[in-house]
Amino acid sequence: MKHNFRNWPVLLVLFIFSLPLLIMLTFLVVDTFTTKVPGTLVPNAFTLHHFRFLWTDLDDGRWGIYGVTLNTFIFAASTAAVVTAISVMAGYALSRLSFPARGFFLGSLIVLHAFPTVTLIIAIFLILQILGLYNTLIGVIIVKTALELPFGIWVMKGFYDTVPWEIEMAGVQDGASRFTVWWKLILPQVQPGLMAILIFSFLSGWSEFVLPMVLNPGTDAQVLSTYLATLLLDTNTNSDFNLISAVGLFYALPVVIIYLIFQNKLMNIYGGGTKG
Amino acid sequence: MQRSSWLGLAFLSPALIVVLLFFLMPVILTGIFAFTNMSTATGVKGGSYVLNASSLRALTDAGLPDVTRSQIESAGYRVDERGLAALAEAHGQAVAEEFSKNHAGEVFTKRRDVERALKDLSSNPIRKTRDRKAAADLFKRSILNQRYETLDAFEAALNEAGIPKPDRPLITEIAYTGWTWTTANFDLLLSLDSTWQYAKNTGIYVTFTLAFNVVFGLFLAITTFYLPAAQATAFRAIWFLPRILPPVLYIVMWRWFTWDTGFISTVLSGFGVSSKNWMLDTEYHAWVTVILINGFVGASMGMIVFSSAIRAIPASMLYASEVDGASRWQQVWYIILPQLRWPILFITSYQTMSLLTSFEYIYLSTDGGPGGSTEVWALAAFHTALNNYGGNLQYGLGATYALLLVVIGVLASLFYLRLFNFKNLLTKPRIEG
Repeated sequence: MKHNFRNWPVLLVLFIFSLPLLIMLTFLVVDTFTTKVPGTLVPNAFTLHHFRFLWTDLDDGRWGIYGVTLNTFIFAASTAAVVTAISVMAGYALSRLSFPARGFFLGSLIVLHAFPTVTLIIAIFLILQILGLYNTLIGVIIVKTALELPFGIWVMKGFYDTVPWEIEMAGVQDGASRFTVWWKLILPQVQPGLMAILIFSFLSGWSEFVLPMVLNPGTDAQVLSTYLATLLLDTNTNSDFNLISAVGLFYALPVVIIYLIFQNKLMNIYGGGTKG
Repeated sequence: MQRSSWLGLAFLSPALIVVLLFFLMPVILTGIFAFTNMSTATGVKGGSYVLNASSLRALTDAGLPDVTRSQIESAGYRVDERGLAALAEAHGQAVAEEFSKNHAGEVFTKRRDVERALKDLSSNPIRKTRDRKAAADLFKRSILNQRYETLDAFEAALNEAGIPKPDRPLITEIAYTGWTWTTANFDLLLSLDSTWQYAKNTGIYVTFTLAFNVVFGLFLAITTFYLPAAQATAFRAIWFLPRILPPVLYIVMWRWFTWDTGFISTVLSGFGVSSKNWMLDTEYHAWVTVILINGFVGASMGMIVFSSAIRAIPASMLYASEVDGASRWQQVWYIILPQLRWPILFITSYQTMSLLTSFEYIYLSTDGGPGGSTEVWALAAFHTALNNYGGNLQYGLGATYALLLVVIGVLASLFYLRLFNFKNLLTKPRIEG
């Protein structure tokens, strides 16, 4: 299909539209490693000064970046682990097991899956206040897990649906219990789905901003997204874009790396599971 | 029940518990909170009863008789444990014991009477008039500025002070510091001009961003489909980034791009245009930026969904059309677009919902400014209840704003359920039969 079209006009239009993004990305990287004369765009010297937050505290005595990074990792990793564990079980139940009101639960899953969760933030804020979990990392982890669950269960159910029934039948025929069949035969089949949810919810937790901002605004257990946002919205520092960009680059690096490594597995989330 | 029923419920229960607590409860509670006047001032958990100067003013405004008012202000002098203990401390145990023997439990309306009673004590232990006045004041009991933790305690105090019964409900209502049930939020919402402004802003925001998302998403998907593989991959990678980059960093980039020391200003200053904040200069600047910021992200998602839908179109259809002499434009219009009907519907409904309810990008970029011109409904709910400069967070009123979004969300999700082929999902498990 190369005959009824010329490429270059399309290429040009695409390029023009992509220009803002290209400029932003290029300068995000260039700015953080160089110095410039104010009012110009061409760098004149290489510097690591903008990355000073990696080895010293910032002037206003902000928390060290590594503590914040550790918090972010704990937040993202525990969310991912719990979401995956619960989804792997619930997805199997909804896909394969028979129990009362199964149709109702399936219907609710679709409703929850489509529901815009941000609207609940005010009520969740008040619930955490009443439970005494406000301003703690554990509170945000629980809430993020809950909001991520419908998606996780939905994807897992999709993966289980593609596993042939014959595998299970054979297992049951040979005298294994349903639990053993699930654990020994089915789980290995849906491993791509499991990995996809693990990575996906980790990335989603790493990037999450609204929940930590509202539910955990203190500095004791700050995460990188709120750390970066305070730098950005703080009127004292918001002119130092180089510093902010450097923090941002540091923050986004794991996301980009994970994405590059697991690109195919993440795409699986739209596709479906096993080839068996 | 069969064994597998138990296994199924056991497998489902962790999910059920979490979902009930943090999904169903918030939905219901948003509805409940909307009918309260909860705020920072009233607290979340409940309150106590306090009458102070400002509640007295409120009572007068509400038409409390002056007689009752002065009764509240000076509830009299009462010989009780607390006063006696204070007396013992000031003038010795013996004095207090004798006073207690003669007058325990009595209530005097005037200080002069208390002074006289003190004077009448054997041997008149408190000689100076000034000291006696001070001693009498130890027994002064006013319900003003006293904190009563329970309703019973407060009513008992009113009773002792001899406040007339008909005035008590009003006093109790005003003295209560906790939150109460009310429908005032809804009246307020309907009467405020800003409500309509938020609704209008939301309309502008959703319409334009959605149009940008769908049209530009389609454009990206179709053009990258026709480009040679290497070029297509490059453009897809660029346009995939808004989707995977953390929102805060994405906004950092936009701020840098549009700020008064940022890219646009610097480039244009070379052409003699004075530098200004291209994000917040006027409301048009703000709207264009907000729509582009959200539009780029949405187009990114549209591109992913549309691209995979286009790849699913059988290549033979496209070849056939080319053999028949269709131009590329005709191919797009008559073959590709009709096949994309469902993905377009999906993206439209999905994005409408998420644009209606999300405020993350606007909060980080313009924060509703300049002058509230980009304040959309969801952001207003957030500002009212969780984040404002005044510091008095009105949870109840914010919940009322959020309630509308929750209702729309529930309806849309139910619609989504109907759209799905639900019977397909309900295929019976085959082992239990």
